[in-house]
Amino acid sequence: MTPASSPAGPDHSRQELMVIEAARDLRDGDIVFVGTGLPMLATTLAQRTHAPNVVMVIESGVIAPQVRPTPISVSDPKVMHRAVKLGTLREVLGCLLQRGMIDVGFLGGAQIDRFANINSTVVGRGSTQRRLPGSGGANDMASHCRRLLIITHHERRRFPERCDYVTSPGFLDGPGGRERAGLSPDFAVTVVTDLAVLENDPQTCALRIAALMPGVTVEEVLAATGFRPEVAPEVRTVAPPTPDQLRLLRDELDPERVYLKAEESATTSRR
Amino acid sequence: MMSETRQRTRDKVLTAAEAVARYVRPGAVLGMGGQNIGRCPMALTHEIIRQRIGRLTVVGCNLSIGMDQLVAAGLVRRTESGSGNLERFGVTFCWRRAIENGSLEVEDYSHLAMVSRFLAGEMGAPFMPTRSLLGSDLLPATGEAGKAVVIEDPWNPGQRVALVPALQPEVSIVHVQRADPSGNIIIEGFATHEPEMIRASHHVIISCEELVSTEEIRAHPERTTIPFLYVDAVVVQPYGAYPTSTYGHYDYDAAHVAAYQEAAREGSPAVDEYLRRYVWGCATFDEYLALAAGSERLIALRRAMEEML
Repeated sequence: MTPASSPAGPDHSRQELMVIEAARDLRDGDIVFVGTGLPMLATTLAQRTHAPNVVMVIESGVIAPQVRPTPISVSDPKVMHRAVKLGTLREVLGCLLQRGMIDVGFLGGAQIDRFANINSTVVGRGSTQRRLPGSGGANDMASHCRRLLIITHHERRRFPERCDYVTSPGFLDGPGGRERAGLSPDFAVTVVTDLAVLENDPQTCALRIAALMPGVTVEEVLAATGFRPEVAPEVRTVAPPTPDQLRLLRDELDPERVYLKAEESATTSRR
Repeated sequence: MMSETRQRTRDKVLTAAEAVARYVRPGAVLGMGGQNIGRCPMALTHEIIRQRIGRLTVVGCNLSIGMDQLVAAGLVRRTESGSGNLERFGVTFCWRRAIENGSLEVEDYSHLAMVSRFLAGEMGAPFMPTRSLLGSDLLPATGEAGKAVVIEDPWNPGQRVALVPALQPEVSIVHVQRADPSGNIIIEGFATHEPEMIRASHHVIISCEELVSTEEIRAHPERTTIPFLYVDAVVVQPYGAYPTSTYGHYDYDAAHVAAYQEAAREGSPAVDEYLRRYVWGCATFDEYLALAAGSERLIALRRAMEEML
C-alpha cells in the first residue's frame, strides 16, 4: 500500500534497525522482563554492546541467563544457559514483577491502541473474530512495570483507535485511567516499529511520533496507523546501525535468521 | 464431591494406562504441567486420549501442545489459562478453532493470576489478591463474580485490588526428571507453575525420565522439589515429554512439533489422521516414540541438550 520509499540505508533492513533501536532503549543495569523473539534478540544485543549489565528475567522462571542464540520460546533450553536461577513462574511474575523489582517489560507485537492498551486475546467482532494466544505474562508486565517497551511491525491493523479487547493495560482511557483502575501511574510506554518510535505524551497519555526511521516520513507513519498520532515537538531521526551492531545481530544473535527476515531489504517492507 | 484420599502406599509405580484409568475421570478438572515446548506431559496426555476420557476442564498457565491434542480428540469442554500457544510454532490451532466455532468454553486470566489461583489452592486459602488484571478486559463485567472480583484494599482505603478464586485441580499431570517409587519428585531447571499446581491438586500423576531410590532422595533431601505426600502415581517414561524438551535430558524436536502444528492448523481430517497414527495407533508411548522419532533421533536430541548445557 505504501510505495517503495527512499531506502533506510544500503546495508540493512528496517527490521534490523528496529531491533537495534529497541536495544538502545535499554539502559545499562536495567532489569528487563523479556519475551522471546525480537525482544530477546534486542535485549541480547544491548547486553553485547552498550548495556552489558542488563539483567534478563524470563517468564518460565529463568533469572539472569546468558542466552544462547537463538531461542524460540520462554521454555527453550537456550534461554536457560548459564542462568543464576531456574525457578518458577511465581518467583518471576510474583516475587520480581508484581513485587516492583522490574524496570522494563519488553513485549513483541500485538494490537496497540492510541492509549497504548494492548490486545493479544481476540481481534475482530462477531463472525470475523480471530482468537489470539491470550495474555500470558503480558497483562502482568503492563500492570507492574514502570517502563513498557514494545517492538512490532507498523501496520494499520496493529494500531487501532481502540483495541477490540484490552488484554494488557496501557493508559486505559487516558489521563488518570491507571490510577482509577488501581494501577500505578508511574508508567511510560515506548513502541519501536520498522517505521518510527512512538512514545506516550506525558500530558495526554496518547502515543505520539517521537522518532522516524531514516527515510520515513510522518505521512508514511500516519498512513500505516489506525489512529492519528500527534507528532512530538522535536522528532528525531533514528541513528543508523553501527557495523558492530549489524555484525552481532546477523552473525551471532540470529545467524539462522529465525527472526530476522533475510528477504526483507531496506526498500521492501512487509506491507 | 470427590474423595480427598491420596494413595498412601510406598510403591506408587504404575503404567500410564493404569494411572490414567485410576485417577482421571470424565468431567475432571485436569491440571497440565509444562509450558510451550518445555516438559509437557505428553505420555500422560496420549494415554488420556487413548482412553478417550472426555468433558475435561483443562487448567494451567500456558496451555500448549498437550491441551491442543486433547481438544483435537474432542475431550475438552473448557479451558482456564493465561495463554494457549507454542510461541514460534504458532497458536494452539485446534483450541483456537474450537473457541471460534463456539464448541469450547474459555476463561482467560494472566499467567500471574493463574499462579495466584494455584497459590491460594495449595495453601488452603479461598482466594488470592493480585494487582494484575485491573483495568483490563480480563476482569469480568460487573456482576459476574465467578472469575475475579475487585475490592477496596481493607488496609489501604481507596486502593483497588483484584481477588482471584483458589483453584484445586481434581488431578494434575506433570512430567519431571526424577522420582522415587513413593512419589518424591525432583524437577530440574525451570519449574513454571508446577510446584503450586501440584500442591493444590487433589490427585497427581507424575511421569519421570528416571526412577531413583528413596535412599537417594534421603541422601539429598534438599534436592526434592515436592515430597511424596502430594503424589498418587509414578509412571516411568523416558522421553515422556517428547516432542517437547526436558531440561538436562533432551531438546525439543522442532520437526515433529511443526508436523503436529501443520495438521492442527489444517484441522479435520489432517489432525484426526495425526491422532490415529500417533496416539490411537500406538499401544504405548514407546511405540509412538519409535514411530515419530526413532532411536537415532532421540539420541540426537539428547546430544543437543548436552551440547547446550
